[in-house]
Amino acid sequence: MTFNPMYLFYILVFPGFLFTSFAGLLLAGIDRKVLAHMQKRIGPPITQPFYDFMKLMGKETIVPDAAPKAVFLGAPVIGLISLFVTALLIPFAGLTPFYGIADIIVLIYLLTIPAVAIIIGGAASGSPFSGVGISREMVTIVSYELPLILVLLTVGKKAGMALTGGMTFSLIDISAYQAQNGMMITHWAMIPAAIAFLLIIPGEVGTQPFDVAEAETEICEGTMAEYSGAPLALFELSHSVKMFIMTALFTALFLQGWTTGIVALDAVIDLAICILLTIITMTLPHASAARLKVEWLFRFYWQIVAGLALISLILVWLGL
Amino acid sequence: MFKKLIDSCTEKSPWIYHINSGSCNGCDIELVAVLTPRYDAERLGFKLVGTPRHADIVVVSGPVTSQSRERLIRTIEQVPDPKVVVSLGSCPRSCNVFKGSYSVEGPLDKFVKVDVSVAGCAPKPEAVIDGLYKAAQILKEKRRNMK
Amino acid sequence: MLPFMKVAVKNLFSKSDCEKYPFVPKEAPANYRGRIVFYPEKCIGCDICERVCSPQAISTSEEQKEDGIYVTRTFHMGSCTFCQTCVDFCPKHAIEMSKDYDMVVTDENDLKVSGTYQKKQRGIPVSAPKPAAKPATEAPVKN
Repeated sequence: MTFNPMYLFYILVFPGFLFTSFAGLLLAGIDRKVLAHMQKRIGPPITQPFYDFMKLMGKETIVPDAAPKAVFLGAPVIGLISLFVTALLIPFAGLTPFYGIADIIVLIYLLTIPAVAIIIGGAASGSPFSGVGISREMVTIVSYELPLILVLLTVGKKAGMALTGGMTFSLIDISAYQAQNGMMITHWAMIPAAIAFLLIIPGEVGTQPFDVAEAETEICEGTMAEYSGAPLALFELSHSVKMFIMTALFTALFLQGWTTGIVALDAVIDLAICILLTIITMTLPHASAARLKVEWLFRFYWQIVAGLALISLILVWLGL
Repeated sequence: MFKKLIDSCTEKSPWIYHINSGSCNGCDIELVAVLTPRYDAERLGFKLVGTPRHADIVVVSGPVTSQSRERLIRTIEQVPDPKVVVSLGSCPRSCNVFKGSYSVEGPLDKFVKVDVSVAGCAPKPEAVIDGLYKAAQILKEKRRNMK
Repeated sequence: MLPFMKVAVKNLFSKSDCEKYPFVPKEAPANYRGRIVFYPEKCIGCDICERVCSPQAISTSEEQKEDGIYVTRTFHMGSCTFCQTCVDFCPKHAIEMSKDYDMVVTDENDLKVSGTYQKKQRGIPVSAPKPAAKPATEAPVKN
């Protein structure tokens, strides 16, 4: 395809580096503030994650002796860049700068890369706390990948059956299907899949009931135990950006198909939906449940969440 | 170019790491009471972290005992610059009632440079908030004078 | 988990319980044992407080000047355990504990509370006490 100078704008500003970072840090700030109000206290200002990021850029970076330097410093960069590429693929406010025939498959692989980057960073740290952290993170990845793939296949099949009679893997086709037939969530067979995706969001992001890998109080912050300064800032940024990506993916899969005509207003409404989803799926369980053990996490995702997604998949395959 | 921005943000988000080097736990209870809903220190940006590599302010309580001396010095050396050491209570200042005991090596400023002392036995949570606030301002000064 | 969710949502829409300390001043309750206030003109030099103090936070030093011996008693707040035993044992009530709880310092000398008085000796007139914490009456000459 020919080079379009608008691509630079898409990559760097919207929805690329600047907008995704800004939205991610804003979501993280709102999550902390709402959590504080749920616990009857005041909490930090909403711009607190921005202050955290700038402060961490000003700290000294210490590389432990036992760590291979290039891998140690490169792991957070790889995770962050793959998240930015994911943001370019997801339709947000009706805009898709880059699209292809097999978006969903690329998305599955791209969403695994940040988690693997955490594992690589932890393995390169050379500390026993990181060792425990990476084994827990591996179990977490295995447990949420199964329901995630089932939900994506369900949505693709539903949109594909109406358009071509088969299966579609392209997010553009899913948007077009929703523009014609109403939002995906209004079809009653898709509701278990929507609930399953809402339960996958906190597991993928790694917030409180499901954050066995980054357990602050148990294993000295697990995989991030030896990070300090700029690499730590990048890890925190990728944690916040993942919140935005997962909620934007939910709106792209289940809540598309409407438009008000003005791109800016669409973007604001989409951002508001992302904020609401963050509060419901990440802050509310954080305030009301304790951290799950690794065995329970595995059992929860493979029995309950995968079961819900499987019910939807079977109903869609039968043509309902 | 970003130096002024980074300097002003250093004061607004100091992260705390707590070391207990032999205290009676009274000052530790007052420190975690500061993070409860009644005296919420998180509205000023403070957060308790689990590893010294993430910390800006190191809060030490208790006199330095023989068993914890070497580990205390190694842990404080692992904290990246700029850092501030706060001694909480009267034990790190002068070993309080444990002076002259067979296992107490001495006050904290014999081993580590101490920036802020919060006196009291145990200090009131409001005094702890004051001490942490002053430590955040000293942190900003140190960041400004760095490189 | 569900009862906690109901409490969390209810708290979201109600007022917070927080005391905004640095912006709203807070006074300690009555009978709070805070920083020591020493009235040197009432001290008779019996040294009971120094013997009774368990962390040995009280020290005395003397200085010979041309018009008499001046005794300085120092209370080190960085070593005090705020047990009030010195206040209970002082026969002349020269020690008092105020409600000041805010003792955050960067320099150790700010933690020392001291007072100086002239030692009463036979045949030496006592000069007017130096203006200390509050104005005191002239001490009578002992013969």
